[in-house]
Amino acid sequence: MYADAAGSQDESQRTGIFVRTGKDTAFLRYLLRRLLTTAGLLLGSTVASFILVQAVPGDPVSANLSDAALGDPSAVAAFRSRWGLDQPLIVQYFTYLGNLLHGDFGTSQQSGRPVLTDLLDYVPATLEIAIPTMILAILISTCLGLLAAVKHGRWHDQVVRVVSLLGLSTPPFWISILALYFFFFVLGVSPNGGRLSPEYIPPETITGMYSVDALLSGDLEVFGDAVHHMVLPIAVLTLSTVAMLTRFVRSALLEVLRKDYITAAYAKGLPTRTVMIKYLLRAGLVPIITVIGIAFASLLAGTVLVESVFSWPGIGQYAFKSASALDRPAILGITLFVATVYLLINLIVDLLYGLADPRVRLT
Amino acid sequence: MPSASKAQTKRSSKVLASAALAAVLALTTGCGSNGSSSSSANKTLVANTTFVYKTLDPGRTYEQTGYVALHSLYSTLMTFNGDDINTPVPELAASVEASPDNTAYTFKLRDNATFSDGSPVTSADVVFSLTRLQNLKGSSATFFAGLNFKAPDDKTVVVTADKPAPNIPVLMAMPASSIINSKVAKEKGATDSPEAATKDTAQAFLDTTSAGSGPYVLERNDPGQEMVLVANDKYWGTKPDFKRVSLRNVDIQNQKLTLSRSKSPEIALDLTGNLLKDLPESLKVSQKKDNIFFAWSNMDPSVSPVSSNPEFVAAFKSAVDYKGLADLMGPGASTLGGLVADVYPGSLPAESGPQQNIEAAKKHLAAAGLSNPTVPFVYPAITYRGVDLGTIATKVQGDVEKAGIKLELTPLPLTAFLEQYRGGKAVMGMTPHALSYPRAENLVTVLGPGGINAKRVGWLEANASQEAVKASKAVMSATSDEDKTSAIEAWQKVMATDSPFIPLGENSGAIVSTPQVSEANYTSAGWIVDLADIKAAG
Repeated sequence: MYADAAGSQDESQRTGIFVRTGKDTAFLRYLLRRLLTTAGLLLGSTVASFILVQAVPGDPVSANLSDAALGDPSAVAAFRSRWGLDQPLIVQYFTYLGNLLHGDFGTSQQSGRPVLTDLLDYVPATLEIAIPTMILAILISTCLGLLAAVKHGRWHDQVVRVVSLLGLSTPPFWISILALYFFFFVLGVSPNGGRLSPEYIPPETITGMYSVDALLSGDLEVFGDAVHHMVLPIAVLTLSTVAMLTRFVRSALLEVLRKDYITAAYAKGLPTRTVMIKYLLRAGLVPIITVIGIAFASLLAGTVLVESVFSWPGIGQYAFKSASALDRPAILGITLFVATVYLLINLIVDLLYGLADPRVRLT
Repeated sequence: MPSASKAQTKRSSKVLASAALAAVLALTTGCGSNGSSSSSANKTLVANTTFVYKTLDPGRTYEQTGYVALHSLYSTLMTFNGDDINTPVPELAASVEASPDNTAYTFKLRDNATFSDGSPVTSADVVFSLTRLQNLKGSSATFFAGLNFKAPDDKTVVVTADKPAPNIPVLMAMPASSIINSKVAKEKGATDSPEAATKDTAQAFLDTTSAGSGPYVLERNDPGQEMVLVANDKYWGTKPDFKRVSLRNVDIQNQKLTLSRSKSPEIALDLTGNLLKDLPESLKVSQKKDNIFFAWSNMDPSVSPVSSNPEFVAAFKSAVDYKGLADLMGPGASTLGGLVADVYPGSLPAESGPQQNIEAAKKHLAAAGLSNPTVPFVYPAITYRGVDLGTIATKVQGDVEKAGIKLELTPLPLTAFLEQYRGGKAVMGMTPHALSYPRAENLVTVLGPGGINAKRVGWLEANASQEAVKASKAVMSATSDEDKTSAIEAWQKVMATDSPFIPLGENSGAIVSTPQVSEANYTSAGWIVDLADIKAAG
């Protein structure tokens, strides 16, 4: 929970706990409370996702067995028994929950492997493109948003607005197809997708991110090839993320630019650089952090079409395949992962508020 | 704005320019490592396909990608050479002998066949593999129901059935009947006991390690990304030309771009239908017509009094423009003579198939006592082998409207479609269909009166014509392959008039290959292409 700086100093001292005043125990109490809330929400998400998965029209038996096997009651019974589908729903849920508490996410019906193993394979692939995408997007959108805000109403602003609008209204998968066509098919400067060229063997798994693992293993050739494969997906995802973030940065900074203290800062003769960084950017950062958090979470959770075009075996592809096959353990595992990502990012964002803006206090 | 902001803007511009330059540099510096031009890449055959498989455990595999891999990793008692699917030939078997009534087949194993760990293939391995397949009760198990397996000695396997089963040699060529190294598999939790469906735990092992006697062994299996096969040093047969095969999970449109540009040995497994249009002439295409699209009309009056009216079905059949549908499906498609696709024994010539006749359709509709009936029409919202089912459904809708039938098109996600279709409540609809093994008798078991699919559309022995029931039974009771083929021809002729199934058209499966490879032939045997047969061109 956090309160805005609008509250009086006295009141905040009476009821609030300052993040930045060194009251570590109060901060830890706050953190503990948030973690408990997060755990409660995660438990709630397991209930909600379990119910929703059952509500989806379709029977996993139909989705997984052949026509011929469906005609054989013993084959249908064997499938139900193997996957625990012959148990009452409530028993299925508590079995799932019990296993979850022991770190067992269940076994995927489509891959036959533990869902956790699948997630550990697919998530690093997504992280490998999501992290650089986010870093690039933050840098570029901050620059563009700042430029548009500072040059509000002038051609710089118009160009940034039109470009970000175009970026927002063009589906990323379409940009992916165009990018692949142009850079791979026409120019031949990009690979056709995947994470590595066929002649290379993936580096030994340390993080699961090929580029990082290759670098850690000192294999520069594989590192180069891995990075080469990352460029286009990252470029496409960056484009669409920048388009979204730039608009938020611009409007957040415009809001701050109208504040009296900015005028006062200029009036005091402070250098523009100081005003921009210490006053403008810092004050505008709070809403931007929120959007960055959401953008990062959605990058981790749902880049299925971009991953599909670039044959990138990330969490989006896994989610799509699991949903298509009504692979309930996998769907539940992915849902829990996504819920965890959103909740953790929300928590981090809330904590960052205090760092970004001293007026924000955690209570 | 103070003048210092201009400096800030200039700095921002520099940052942006540097970022753009870095991106371009990263893109171009990587060119050197593009796999297509490296010499080491040329020792690797790259097979591009959209992955459709759940496992590489032979007892549980049922999907296309799994079959392609299994055929290279494991050997079977019988096989088919090249693209021929008429005559099964011995593979692990040195010889095969059928009893006069085709109820027993005796397979003598080769002396030189070994697994990839060097141990010999024995009859115990064969019996274990096939019994395990039955008891796992997976998607393929039902085809093997009623068969018994015995090993009188180390090198002899006897397969018996309680009724004549001339299809046994064909079944023994299915990838599902791959022979696994029983000693290795048992150590990893495999069992052939009657409780195998719940007790067998070898799938995880078999997904990462092949335990077979095929030309390749599994080096790596990343289910979302790539499967790598390398030549089996202990392979007892002709060694494959390519020592390494990379099966890569690639989007279909991307496969087209890749093959069009590639200068390496590559093949694409999913470029069919309209996707074959506008390919460069340098690419080679091998294709066979082996999958069909059919519509159905539910014959259960409680589901719909309209669709269950035989005159309505006849009106529908007469209203469809079959030639137009085939044209829409793309190169390699054609109209159907019956329900069996062109490549399989028992198919009928295209000329004997249904023809559009709007006037006849109107007469049938009048005879049904129906005026401008409206019928829901479900289909899976997918593109199957290059054919968009939405396009086909829209064409059908337009065709039958000319006869006065209004179709309400209802595209559904695949799982929802299967639920409706398999639940028996769908009034009308259409679906693609491919045979599970290259004999049309398995089509009779699903579409004949009372068959699995027939039941879903309310077509049972009780409400089907006696001719249809008799024709189906004739197929199932035929005691030789030749008799079965004749019976299947006769069955289709009856089905054309008496059944609620309407053959809309047939399409080809295809393998597209770059000029750097030869003998990449499509086969309808089930495994699409024999990777070990493919050679480097020149």
